[in-house]
Amino acid sequence: MDTRVRTFELTVWPHMRAAYNLARWLVRNNQDAEDIVQESLLKAYKAQESFRGNEPKTWMLSIVRNTALDFLRRGKSSAEVVLEKPGFEPRDHSPDPERALLEQSRRQRVRRAIAQLAPEFREAIVLREIEGLSYKEIASVLGIPMGTVMSRLSRARNLLLVELGGAKEVSA
Amino acid sequence: MNCREAGPLLHARLDNELDMAGSASIDLHLADCRACAAQYAALQGLHDEIASVDLAYAPGAAFERKLAARFLKEPKSPLRLWTGNWLTASAMAAATVGVIVLIVSMPALRTGSGTDAIATEILDDHLRALEPMHQVDVPSSDQHTVKPWFQGKTSFSPPVPDLTGEDFILIGGRLEVLNQQPAAAIVYRRRQHVIDLYVLPSPGADSKTELREQGGYHLLHWMQNNMSYWAVSDVDLTDLRTFADLIRGK
Repeated sequence: MDTRVRTFELTVWPHMRAAYNLARWLVRNNQDAEDIVQESLLKAYKAQESFRGNEPKTWMLSIVRNTALDFLRRGKSSAEVVLEKPGFEPRDHSPDPERALLEQSRRQRVRRAIAQLAPEFREAIVLREIEGLSYKEIASVLGIPMGTVMSRLSRARNLLLVELGGAKEVSA
Repeated sequence: MNCREAGPLLHARLDNELDMAGSASIDLHLADCRACAAQYAALQGLHDEIASVDLAYAPGAAFERKLAARFLKEPKSPLRLWTGNWLTASAMAAATVGVIVLIVSMPALRTGSGTDAIATEILDDHLRALEPMHQVDVPSSDQHTVKPWFQGKTSFSPPVPDLTGEDFILIGGRLEVLNQQPAAAIVYRRRQHVIDLYVLPSPGADSKTELREQGGYHLLHWMQNNMSYWAVSDVDLTDLRTFADLIRGK
């Protein structure tokens, strides 16, 4: 197997799922997310020789983000916010259907709240809470200082508290 | 610290981004201030709520297969494609292959003395190191710079011969961890091909040079003076053998 493919497999490919997740949160539908991931992988493949950093994950995610932002700017989005499709949910194999249903409704509720955030808050929350990136890594993906990362997360979480706070007491 | 200062730091505390002193000063404030403590508890609750459900969107299996077919030469998991009757037929075929592989690999295992895992580890390391920045910790074509660099980093002194006359150009060295112990990687270049020579302590009798091939790469392995040697490259096998002989002879 040639070296480029192997290098790609070892450095970029492991972040494909993170790439899809970020793209999906930014463009908010599956088809566009797939297009963006595909385009981003191609860019990463072509550019991998010039990549000099130590963190292929943040590098890959910043490519995805730029590709998604370009895409949104050109207004190519094929559909506005698509409602949750059950077919794309992670399969739940738990034997307790009631619990699975509850989990599903909690997932939808939290996802909806995050989806409503403005893009700059949404991407910060997704990278921190779902992808588990550090402030430094988030700063590198978004191209902003770490202090800005902190203030965006702060704003985003306060908005989420308002959005989710009330309903939480009812379901608890 | 007042509440206004504490505000954004609550998030940094929650995200484990503060050093010990920073965490301590926030904790002191939280012990004193009810409003901030309540806010912190709310944030913690939000964080836990988000963490308690899997919010990530996963790519569909068909899409993932399509990407693998396009970007990787081999699909990640051909097993997934089998369905129905194919499964039975394939399982039988797999079982047959399993038996053949077992028979063929038995003698290899005995002579190979359990080095397969480390061979894979070494090849992966070699491939990772092919990225420009990862190639060497000490870039130098001077053996008198590279060899002393390992002093204090490894318990042994790896051979770093000057092979310029034989057209193997020294690029440098780097420290690796293989088989959970420090290993020296000496990097040479032959035309456009990178050759990594891995050296690590490994008690055992001297052996002759063994060849392994994996995905277009050659790995030559031998034991010498209680050290394990691996030469890895995609260079021509004849060239790699010449290289190994030169290292063994020095």
